[in-house]
Amino acid sequence: MKAALLLTGLLAPWAVSAALSALLRGSPRLAGRLTAAAGALSLGAAAAIWFVVLGGEVLVAGPGDLFRADALSALVAGCIAAVSGLAMLPWAGIGKDQADRDRARVFRIFGSLFTLAMLVAVTINNVALMWVAIEATTIVSAILIPLHRSKASVEASWKYILIGSVGIALAFAGTVLAYFDFVSLLGRRHDALNWTLLMDVAPTLHPDVLRLAFVFLLVGYGTKAGLAPMHTWLPDAHSEAPAPLSAMMSGVLLAVAQYAIIRWKAVVDAAGGPAFTNQVLMALGLLSIGIGALSLVRQQNYKRLLAYSSVEHSGLICLGLTFGPAGVFASLLHLLNHALAKSMSFLLAGRVLARYSSAEVDRVSGLVRTMPATGPLFAAGMLALMGLPPFGLFLSEFLLFRAGFTSGHPVATSAAMLLAGVGFVGLAGHLARMLHGPGPDGVAAGERDWWMLAPLAVSVVAMIALGLLLPDTVARLLGRIAEAMSI
Amino acid sequence: MQGVFSQVAVMGSSGMLLCAMIVLWRRGVAAYISAFMWQSVVLGALTAAVGYFGNDPQLYVVAVLLFGIKAVAIPKLLRRVSQRFTAGRESAPYVNTATSLVVSGLLVLLAYAAARPLEAVADAPTRAGMPLAMGLLFISLFIIISRKLAITQVIGFLMLENAIALLAVLATYGVPLIVELGVFLDALMGFLVMQIFLYDIHGTFSTTDVDVLERLKH
Repeated sequence: MKAALLLTGLLAPWAVSAALSALLRGSPRLAGRLTAAAGALSLGAAAAIWFVVLGGEVLVAGPGDLFRADALSALVAGCIAAVSGLAMLPWAGIGKDQADRDRARVFRIFGSLFTLAMLVAVTINNVALMWVAIEATTIVSAILIPLHRSKASVEASWKYILIGSVGIALAFAGTVLAYFDFVSLLGRRHDALNWTLLMDVAPTLHPDVLRLAFVFLLVGYGTKAGLAPMHTWLPDAHSEAPAPLSAMMSGVLLAVAQYAIIRWKAVVDAAGGPAFTNQVLMALGLLSIGIGALSLVRQQNYKRLLAYSSVEHSGLICLGLTFGPAGVFASLLHLLNHALAKSMSFLLAGRVLARYSSAEVDRVSGLVRTMPATGPLFAAGMLALMGLPPFGLFLSEFLLFRAGFTSGHPVATSAAMLLAGVGFVGLAGHLARMLHGPGPDGVAAGERDWWMLAPLAVSVVAMIALGLLLPDTVARLLGRIAEAMSI
Repeated sequence: MQGVFSQVAVMGSSGMLLCAMIVLWRRGVAAYISAFMWQSVVLGALTAAVGYFGNDPQLYVVAVLLFGIKAVAIPKLLRRVSQRFTAGRESAPYVNTATSLVVSGLLVLLAYAAARPLEAVADAPTRAGMPLAMGLLFISLFIIISRKLAITQVIGFLMLENAIALLAVLATYGVPLIVELGVFLDALMGFLVMQIFLYDIHGTFSTTDVDVLERLKH
C-alpha cells in the first residue's frame, strides 16, 4: 500500500501535468503553475522513497510486481524529479505573443511526458519495458529539440532521433539475446524479464551468450549515455535544444542510460564474473573522457562546451563502475553531482544566450558586470564541472581516482586524471574570457526576474554541501547500492 | 514436422535478408519501399508460422499487428513522403553498389561467427535462422551508414527493427505480449516523428540528402 502510494506520487503528477497542459490551452498561467506543482509533488515523493529505501526496504507495487524501487532507483529517480522539477519551471516565461505561448505549451506537454518516461524507466521491474520507456524518452525529447525551428536545430533533431533510435534498437537486440538465454534454460515465463528474477537465475545463465548480449546493450544504452564513439549526436542535440530541455537531457537522461548499463552489468557479472564488462566499460570510459576533454579545448560555443563536458563526465561515471565497490560508490556520487551542476549550468547558459543573442564564447564578455547574479552562478556551475573544491564533483572525482589506484588500475586512472586535467584547462580558459572584460555594446546590463535564480542558488548550496560534508543520507544510500552491485 | 518448421524458418529469414540486399543493389526509393513492404510481409507470415508450429496463439496477434503496421500503414506513409519529394533516387551513395554487395556478404559471414554461442545454446528447430537474423541486423546498420537520403536511412532503421523482431521470434518465439505491444507503440511513434522530421528537413533545406546536414561540426 505504502509502495503503491509513493510510486503513484512519483509518477502520476507528470501524467496529470501533461494531460492538463494539453487541455488548458486558454489559461497558460494556470497550466504553468500546475506543472510546477506537479514537479514539487513528484520531488516530495522521490524524497520519501529515498528515505524509505534507506532503511533497507524495497518498494514493490502494481500487477505482477510491475514497479520496483530499490536504492539505485531511488537515487536516479531523485535526480530526475529534482532536475525536471527545476527545468519545467516557466523558464521561457509565459511569453508575450501567441507563438511563444504555444511553444511553452508544447514544452510543458512533452517535457512532462519526457520526465514521466524517465521516471518509469528507473522504477520498472521488467528490463524490456525499461527499454520501451527509454526509447520513449528519445521520441518525446526529439520533438522538443526543434522548438525554435532553424537549420541547425532541424539537423540536430534528425541526428538525435536517427542515431538514438538505431542505438537503442541494438539495446533491444541485447535484451532479446539475454531473454533467449533465460528461455533456453528455464522455459518461457511472463516474468522472465523481471530484473529480480533475472538476477536470481543469473549464476546459471551462459556467460558466452550474456557477453554477446552485453556488447549490444552497451552499444545501445551507451549511445544514449553519450559514450564515445557513439556520442556524435550529443553535442548537436544538447546545444541546439531549448535550455531547459538541455538541462534535462544532459543532467538526467544520460543518468537513465547509465542506470540501464549498471543494471545489466550486474546481471552479466553474476553470470560470468566482472572481468569482461570491466574491460569494455573501461575502454569506452577512457575514450569518452579523452574525446570530451580534447573537444573542450578547441570548442568555441559555450553550449557545446557544456555538452562535451557531459561526454567527459559520462566517461568518468562509466570508468568508475569498473573500480570495485568503492568505484561504484564514487561513480554514483559523480552521477548525482553532475546532474545538479550540469542542469544548473545549462539553465544559466539559456539566460546568457537570451541576453547576448549568441552562443559563441567570443561574443560573450564581461558576464559578471552585465549579469551580476547569473554571471557568478554560471561561474560556480562551470567551476564545479571542472572538478574544483568545494563542489561535490571534486569529492567524487577524488574518490573515483582513489578507488582506481586502490583497486589496481594505476595506468587507466593516471590516464583519466591527465585527460581530466586537459579538460580543466580547456574549460578554465573559456570561462575566464566570458566572465571578464567590458560587456559588448548593445547588451543591456542588469538582472531581470531575480526570483528565477533562487532555485539555482539552492543547487549551488547543495553542490557545496555534497562536496564539503557528504550528508549521511546520501552516503548510506550510495553504500547500499555499491554493496548490492558487488557480487 | 520439425524438419518442415526448420526449413520454413530458414527460408523466411533468407527471404528477409534478400529484401535488405535489394536496397543495396537498386537506386530508386520506390524499390526500397517495396523491398521493405515485402520484408514485413515475410516477417508477418513467418511469425504466424512460428505461432502455428510452436503452438503459441499469441503470435497470431503479433503477426496481424506486424502486417497492419509494417506491411500496410508504414509503406503507405513512406510512399506519400517520397512522392512529395521529387528526388527519389539514391544517386551517389557513400559506398557504391558493387562494394556494398561484397560488404553485405562479409557481414553475413561475420554474423555466422557472432551467432555461434547462440546456436550452441539453442535447441529450437528455428535456430538455423538466427545467424541470418543477425546478418540482417548488420546489413540494416550498413544501409543506414552508407546511404545518403534521409528516407533511405529511415528504411534502414525500419529494417533494423524487422531484424530484431525476426531474432526475437526465431530465438524465443517472441517476447512476452506486453513487451511486444510496447515495442509496437514505440516503433509507430518513432516512425511518425521521423516522418515529421523528413518534412522538416525538406522544408528547411529543400532536399533530403543528408550531405546538407553539416552545419554542426565538432
